[in-house]
Amino acid sequence: MDLNLSPEDRAFRDQARAWFQRNVPRAELKTLEERRAWHRTMYDAGYVGMGWPTEYGGRGATPMQQAIAADEMARANAPAPINGLGVGFIGPTIIIHGTPEQKQRYLRKILTAEEMWCQLYSEPNSGSDLASLRTRAEDRGDHFLVNGQKIWTSGGHIADWGILLARSDPGVAKHKGISCFLFDMRQPGVQVRPLKQITGSSEFNEVFMTNARAEKRDLIGRLGQGWEIAQTTLGFERGGNSMARVTRYASAFDRLVDAAKKIERGGKPLLEDPVVRAKLGNVYAEMEVQRYAALRVLSALQKGASPGAASSITKLSYSEFEKRYYELCLEILGPYGQVTDGGLEETTLDVDSSSGVRSSWAYAFLWARAGTIYSGSSEIQKNVIGERVLGLPKEIRADRVAKA
Amino acid sequence: MDFSFSSDQQLLKNSARAFLDEHVKPAQVRLLWDDPRGESEALWKEMAQLGWLGLALPEDAGGSALGLVETAILQEELGRAACPSPYLSTVLAAMAIDRFGSPAQKSRWLPAVAGGGARATVALMERALDWSPQSIETRAEERGGKVALSGVKQFVPWAHVADVILVPALSGSTLAVYVVEASAPGVSITPLTSLDPGTRVAQVTLDGAAVAAEAKLPADALAFLLQRGAVGAAAEMLGAARRCLDMAVEYAKVREQFGQPIGSFQAIRHKCAEMLLEVENSHAATYYAAWALASGAEDGALAASVAKSYVSDASRKVCGDAIQVHGGIGFTWEYDLHLYFKRAKALEPLYGDAEHHRELIVRRVAS
Repeated sequence: MDLNLSPEDRAFRDQARAWFQRNVPRAELKTLEERRAWHRTMYDAGYVGMGWPTEYGGRGATPMQQAIAADEMARANAPAPINGLGVGFIGPTIIIHGTPEQKQRYLRKILTAEEMWCQLYSEPNSGSDLASLRTRAEDRGDHFLVNGQKIWTSGGHIADWGILLARSDPGVAKHKGISCFLFDMRQPGVQVRPLKQITGSSEFNEVFMTNARAEKRDLIGRLGQGWEIAQTTLGFERGGNSMARVTRYASAFDRLVDAAKKIERGGKPLLEDPVVRAKLGNVYAEMEVQRYAALRVLSALQKGASPGAASSITKLSYSEFEKRYYELCLEILGPYGQVTDGGLEETTLDVDSSSGVRSSWAYAFLWARAGTIYSGSSEIQKNVIGERVLGLPKEIRADRVAKA
Repeated sequence: MDFSFSSDQQLLKNSARAFLDEHVKPAQVRLLWDDPRGESEALWKEMAQLGWLGLALPEDAGGSALGLVETAILQEELGRAACPSPYLSTVLAAMAIDRFGSPAQKSRWLPAVAGGGARATVALMERALDWSPQSIETRAEERGGKVALSGVKQFVPWAHVADVILVPALSGSTLAVYVVEASAPGVSITPLTSLDPGTRVAQVTLDGAAVAAEAKLPADALAFLLQRGAVGAAAEMLGAARRCLDMAVEYAKVREQFGQPIGSFQAIRHKCAEMLLEVENSHAATYYAAWALASGAEDGALAASVAKSYVSDASRKVCGDAIQVHGGIGFTWEYDLHLYFKRAKALEPLYGDAEHHRELIVRRVAS
């Protein structure tokens, strides 16, 4: 056990730190084009798609280096790269399961964010039970005809392409009849409607597909292999971002402490209140434990271990922590924590929530509710942990009983 | 960077597990619960032979010169066995003597500890029930080349079997940690009976107890003891929690109600998943802190406080939830779960409770 960075990793960290300090944009990036330009700058410097094999435009970096770069990015308060789903898991899916033509056609433009991607998985009636999805892909000889509705599509409104799960064979067991497609979002049969969330903002969308086309050449893997592909790629992204996430929590903690020094209750700064101090100590400990756990996962990834179902522990842990964390921040800040405009300067400081959006405490508090729902709710993660990590017996499910 | 145990560390863990599984079965733990001393001389000698008592002590004192990570590995296994033993308090005191003591103190105590001939403890708490140096009232007065200690130390682990007790006391306004032989005149020890009969505590009254003027360690030893004690306690609590988790999961696989194993019900499965999450986080917290203190990382003291406060809460929850998963049988005396439940609970208030460590954290990060 040795948690020191290797000399190579330390050198890499210093290099990344210096690069971000020099290059991080001074002015806020307002438009997609400005963000794309910043993304391109990072890509050219080698900080996007680092884990991708060099033959596909990545640098074959180790998990540790990827985590270090993400951490330095967070430390420098640098705007995140765009096309996160494309770079994080759609590209890797194409690398693993795609044809040579698909790789040639799509990969580079994912990395450079020339083409933006979204994920077309969840449906209004297929949330946790994703395999029950009903969007149809009918074989029409030279193409598939796609009809259905998707929801919770992040970035759908700016996406050029989507990775789509659709039912290609309604006659077989539900997990077996699903196929995976690369799907053109810029076609007449596709309508995208922003979904206004409890945050008041619209990071997610609804996508309606009416007699839309998925080309034969854009089928990923075999027909009916869609569920299997979705399973193998869902866990891609965890781990690499975990250190950066904690760094963002830590910078929010510093802001919280600043506010607790300035806000007074009963004539004394909040920071002198023993109850507030106990809460701060508690949440700081929890935050540090998230960091230690992230290092542990990273160390396993670094050794080539595939976290598999254990990545459910990571996801459950950080998303539940984030919820408690911002609840506690708002508890400590009292009414000031809820002000989104017009309050004290110290209390309306930007906070960088895990959505990557820099906004108010109130926004971060609301956004934290998403984390325990998306990418498999906490309840689904606990099922996975129970069944696949602890080996507890599967529950008797109505859909399995019906097939038996 | 590598968070996993080295092959030597894994070997140590496996051999400790094998030894304790064979020699410290729950039945042995129960025998020691009923024993007036509460610990076994034979077991202590075996621990010495296995090299456990000198694990972190220098080789010239008969030790193995290993570090805090290895010590934590053993402590986790001792917690997993709910082994009644003054191991933690003894190695803690010995590590402080090794770090801060004079050559004479080292040669007096370290070989004795490593060889199993001496037990030790640390007296960190007084009537203020506070862990900070400011709460210390015990006085050290010079009397003809010797020092006389007067004061009362509360909840001292295993004082009734200790040969030497580390006693923080004030001489004027100068704090030092005195190395007191338990047999010295003026030392009286009143054992208490408490919730975990495998974690004995006693009140130590010093009524002009005489020690040699040079029998002391500098005040820095106090923070050292609290930090390393915190990590050792966290490791034991982690071991107890993992034992409870394992028992709960095994039980949930075989216990049937409504015609199915109860582990198939989400109410039980989700609880077990939450328990695993807490155990894994506790592992990360404990070993991060052990490594950070051992390697002199700048956040070592902070990490020790994080570990103690986090694992205290986590292990209580995990051990308690294990009782809940078991239902009625988990509440019986004859079922072994309460051995581990009680061990985890008993360590909560020792070596700084969670509240104290949270305050230490805030002082470090929000000054």
